[in-house]
Amino acid sequence: MTKQKMFLRMITASLVRRRSRMLVALLAIAVGATILSGLVTIYYDVPRQMGAEFRNYGANMILVPSGNDAAFNMDAVEETLGYIKPDQLVGVAPYRYETVRIHEQPIVAAGTDMEGAKATSPYWHINGAWPDAAGDILLGQKVADQLGLKPGDTLTVSYAAEEAEPAAEPKTDAQAGETNRLDAASQAEGQEESGADEAQTTGEDYVPDASLDMMVTGILETGGSEEEYVYLSMEDLNGLTGGSDKLDVVELSVSADQSELKQYGSDIENNVDDVTPRLVKRVTESESTVLTKLQALVFLVTAVVLVLTMICVATTMTAAVTERRKEIGLRKALGASNRSIIGEFMGEGLLLGGVGGLIGAGLGFAFAQAVSMKVFNSSITFQPLLLPVTIVVSVLVAGCACLLPVKSATEVDPAVVLKGE
Amino acid sequence: MSLLELKSISKIYGDLHALDNVSLKVEKGEWVAIMGPSGSGKSTMMNIIGCMDKPTSGQVLLDGVDISKESDRNLTAIRRDKIGLIFQQFHLVNYLTALENVMVAQYYHSVPDEAEAMEALRRVGLADRAKHLPSQLSGGEQQRVCIARALINYPELILADEPTGNLDEANENIVLEIFRQLHAEGTTLVVVTHDPEVGEVAQRTVVLEYGKITREIHNESFEAKTAPALAEARN
Amino acid sequence: MFFRMIRGAFVRQKGKMLMIALTIALGASLATAMLNVMLDVGDKINQELKTYGANITVVPKSSSVLNNLYEVEGGEEAQEAFLREDELGKIKTIFWAFNIVDFAPFIDTTADLDSGEEVRLVGTWFNHHLDLPTGEMLDTGVANLRTWWDISDGVWLDEQAESDPNAAMIGAMVARREGVGAGDTLHVKTRYGEADLKVVGVFDAGSDEDEEIYAPMDLVQALSDTDGYLTSIEVSALTTPDNELAIKAAKDPSALSVSQYETWYCTAYVSSICYQIQEVITDSVASPVRQVADSEGAILEKTEFLMVLITILSLVGSGLGICNLVTASVMERSNEIGLLKAIGAKDSAISGIVLTEIVLTGIVGAVIGYFVGFGFAQIIGHTVFGSSIEMKAMVIPIVAMLTVAVTLAGSIPAIRMLLRLRPAEVLHGR
Repeated sequence: MTKQKMFLRMITASLVRRRSRMLVALLAIAVGATILSGLVTIYYDVPRQMGAEFRNYGANMILVPSGNDAAFNMDAVEETLGYIKPDQLVGVAPYRYETVRIHEQPIVAAGTDMEGAKATSPYWHINGAWPDAAGDILLGQKVADQLGLKPGDTLTVSYAAEEAEPAAEPKTDAQAGETNRLDAASQAEGQEESGADEAQTTGEDYVPDASLDMMVTGILETGGSEEEYVYLSMEDLNGLTGGSDKLDVVELSVSADQSELKQYGSDIENNVDDVTPRLVKRVTESESTVLTKLQALVFLVTAVVLVLTMICVATTMTAAVTERRKEIGLRKALGASNRSIIGEFMGEGLLLGGVGGLIGAGLGFAFAQAVSMKVFNSSITFQPLLLPVTIVVSVLVAGCACLLPVKSATEVDPAVVLKGE
Repeated sequence: MSLLELKSISKIYGDLHALDNVSLKVEKGEWVAIMGPSGSGKSTMMNIIGCMDKPTSGQVLLDGVDISKESDRNLTAIRRDKIGLIFQQFHLVNYLTALENVMVAQYYHSVPDEAEAMEALRRVGLADRAKHLPSQLSGGEQQRVCIARALINYPELILADEPTGNLDEANENIVLEIFRQLHAEGTTLVVVTHDPEVGEVAQRTVVLEYGKITREIHNESFEAKTAPALAEARN
Repeated sequence: MFFRMIRGAFVRQKGKMLMIALTIALGASLATAMLNVMLDVGDKINQELKTYGANITVVPKSSSVLNNLYEVEGGEEAQEAFLREDELGKIKTIFWAFNIVDFAPFIDTTADLDSGEEVRLVGTWFNHHLDLPTGEMLDTGVANLRTWWDISDGVWLDEQAESDPNAAMIGAMVARREGVGAGDTLHVKTRYGEADLKVVGVFDAGSDEDEEIYAPMDLVQALSDTDGYLTSIEVSALTTPDNELAIKAAKDPSALSVSQYETWYCTAYVSSICYQIQEVITDSVASPVRQVADSEGAILEKTEFLMVLITILSLVGSGLGICNLVTASVMERSNEIGLLKAIGAKDSAISGIVLTEIVLTGIVGAVIGYFVGFGFAQIIGHTVFGSSIEMKAMVIPIVAMLTVAVTLAGSIPAIRMLLRLRPAEVLHGR
């Protein structure tokens, strides 16, 4: 039998026959490794997951026409979207604003894609239901109050071309009442609204070009200027106004950090002629501020937990080795050199570290996955690099924790160790 | 030349003279018992002979080499090569089988050889217990494993510290019988004990009191006792 | 004798007891740090989320029902409803006054520039100093509510240091169109007067605010003949995420039962804060800005939940660690326990001695750990949020209970196992 074989035989005997003690040490290492891999996985995934949560704040990029008279349609939007990674795109909501009349009142109607609006503006509170069929309409809270309408009511929307096509004139104080605007849709709205003013001032001779009977499915409450509009599907609005498929503004909700967004912005600016992208500063700036803090928080928490856990693992390992001082003394008495004793104990420690690390890496990923499913309702990305890192760290911690007590035990006279208790 | 020679060694702990100017010679093939009450300096002497401690003054010659000045590292090597230790508390590695415990000594000495280790166990009558763990063995059996382990590397000197201290009479006899056998084969034995019965069976008994050798007894009936006891053990 | 034995154990086994105390201290410090951070993280993140600006807007009652979109045509302003400036301080007197972080009043009007362009002129507080009736002092205004404004030229208008009453900040679009920058003057003219504004800063807001001019309150009130009146107030408040009750209350507070109403009124839901603002500001409607309020709620909940789970993981981890070590250290004392049994000690007496030792060690460890952990929490607080983590009293009993439970859980099974052994087995060989 070779020395290597005997070495392995002794180590496996120690691990297998001192099962309960070894399990204690293994458990400690596995717990440490679980915390390590779990927390680090969470740390890496938090920005992505939290970033998705921050999409609650709505669009962080909008597309407006380049220049005052320019218009763009869905083709330009499709082209634009080509520059954004598809998995980062949370939602796209195109808007077209036209002034229509409901109950003889001039109201700004927004044509949009309801699914897109749902995705880009998750904070919209709908009393009732989202429109989902042709002929459905969503009323802003203020419009509903003004007109005295509630979900289930029907109304007639009418449209007159000459009323809705004002010359490009400077903005009026129509905007003055708005308190809480976020998007640059105002440019378009300003025009429409000024159209409305014009209509009001031009008086009674209003002749609708087209009209449509619609049903109110819900009332929109946001606390912002959205409450002053009505929302209907793009098809209904285009049908009502006849043909044109121009868009006034497109809201994009992109799950990316500020620098990446800026990059997308300049890519689009340089490559797509018809549209100008603008970042919604309030959302992007604030998101990067808060997200940075959150990441720092998780980082520090992870660091503190890891340091403390690793020390805990080390003390447990140290205790496990210290317990075996007598055995170390015996081996010395039998003529073992310090080196070979250290080698044997380290061999055990490293093996434990490796196995514990492997178990811990698996459990940690399971934990991170559970957290992610519970907190964010989405699965976590596996960091393949973390597996070797967890194992290496576990082995290192276990190794260092063994080395010190073994070294100190080998320095003691074997006679002293063997005599005492 | 003597196998072991202590030349006026002293060991002083603070004010306590554990060993006070002691000289002793042990010849090759001799069986010497060192006797004395607790506190007489037996253990100190045993540790010094076993290369686990160094005297404060004096010389220790083992096989002609002065080990009193050697480094710890060299002492370990000398102990490994020349001495087989037997302890009162047996000191077996509790998670290794009897066979493996014997092989550990081989492992540190040279190369483990399972067949040879097995042969050593057979010599002490434990061939059928080779795969048992120390916790599954009786005290006498554990001590016999310990003896097998001490023998495995053919040491020049077997040093036993109260080898029968934890054993009942039957087991004591078995152990003593193995010692006789070893002696018959020419092995040098130094047995430290406070048990007169164990002391008496040795070829020569050295009595230690207050750190000094006070008496030396040559056991005349030594050869006569050997034969019947050996026969008894073999039954 | 009992105490003598315990004292003996501590003195003789100094190293081992120290090791146990150290491990318990580590576990306790981890628990303390994590619990303190977890309990305070909501408030901290809430503060951070204030960077998104106001989560409540207050507008005059009539304007909120019949929106003013179609009535603000020049000359009709007299009909418009206003809020009163002298009531502003009352916002800081409501039940949840402490949660009102910032607020800013707005008065807006339109003004003509020399170029013939018409712009929206907004009067507001920038960093207004307010002495409250309660004796508190507060600096508040848009400087805190528009943290995302990028000052592309010049500086933020400092209301307290600025001596020129005509100082103003202008949006980037206005600046570009009019060709003015910081230090220049811009002439504005309204129906009621005119002024030469001194441009202190140019901001880029990334929204239609870039088309506006922000000037001090008094100046705009004078230019629009609305002295003492406001068009709106933006309020930034720390809120608790909405639940069923809050949603029900937001629809109609009078539909609640008395106890529900009390719970709702005394919880910092955005709807109850809105309700309380309406109580103190005459003829006003306060409504949550859904975009901010809802998102805040979602992010707060997720962050707190995340921290709770991380805390649980670390508690379980440190618990197992301590349990482990305690078990190992008790097992190690099999000889001593066997001996005590052999000399006739009763099981209960042995358990009493060992448990007392371990629990005493645990308490020492836990006390040290608590303070160390509190230190860790402060490090986290200062590094991440730049403010200290509040010391929560409830952490102390939790950590104490946890430590005792974990040490007992670690030692009792081990002691029971050792007691089941016969003394002879323990003392003779292993």
